[in-house]
Amino acid sequence: VTDQRALLRLLVQGDVRFIVVGGVAAVIHGSARLTLDVDVVYDRAPDNIERLAAVLAPRRPYLRGAPPGLPFAWDAPTIRRGLNFTLTTDLGDLDLLGEVAGGGSYADLLPHAAQVAMEDLRFLCVDLATLIRLKRAAGRPKDLEAVAELELLLARLRGRGPA
Amino acid sequence: LEPDPVIDAYKPGIDVTLLDENLKRTVEERFRGLEAMTRLHEAARLARERGGVPGSSGPASGVVR
Repeated sequence: VTDQRALLRLLVQGDVRFIVVGGVAAVIHGSARLTLDVDVVYDRAPDNIERLAAVLAPRRPYLRGAPPGLPFAWDAPTIRRGLNFTLTTDLGDLDLLGEVAGGGSYADLLPHAAQVAMEDLRFLCVDLATLIRLKRAAGRPKDLEAVAELELLLARLRGRGPA
Repeated sequence: LEPDPVIDAYKPGIDVTLLDENLKRTVEERFRGLEAMTRLHEAARLARERGGVPGSSGPASGVVR
């Protein structure tokens, strides 16, 4: 089972630069839907890749859905060679996105993110309008209802929601 | 955002009272709700695997409904 809070804490405490997107961002904005992983867009700068490699390595990251026993090493060279990683870890499922459809890179998303405070955690989360844009761009059928919910949330926040 | 008729078709089926309740909550409270749902989902998954329900004293014959 994914411990969403522990995954976020791990990244924050490791000084990793990231922006929360996906289902956790939806929950932060008020969605009532369950999400079982944590999706983040991470900064591809070399220092951040080093931090990401170091902080996650003890949590035994592995490619989600891949057969066991592959020679997969979680280190900075692996992250540099790749871009988007869907991982299992000791703390649950974590999607690390170097780029996201409809949103681009960490730097591209930064103007569309705001800091979220949750107990002792402070991290960046994509804003609601951008989250909708990302989910629309992903174009996955399973996201259609989620996008509808997010659009209703946005309408209510803008004060023009249906009664 | 351009209206999308496919997305709009889902909207009448969404319980907006849940959304309104969530909007009254803090981010921390919303996140705790997610954690509670995650625990419930995991308990249901384990119960399905075991063929019983959480807290039951013995094997059950049915599926968790």
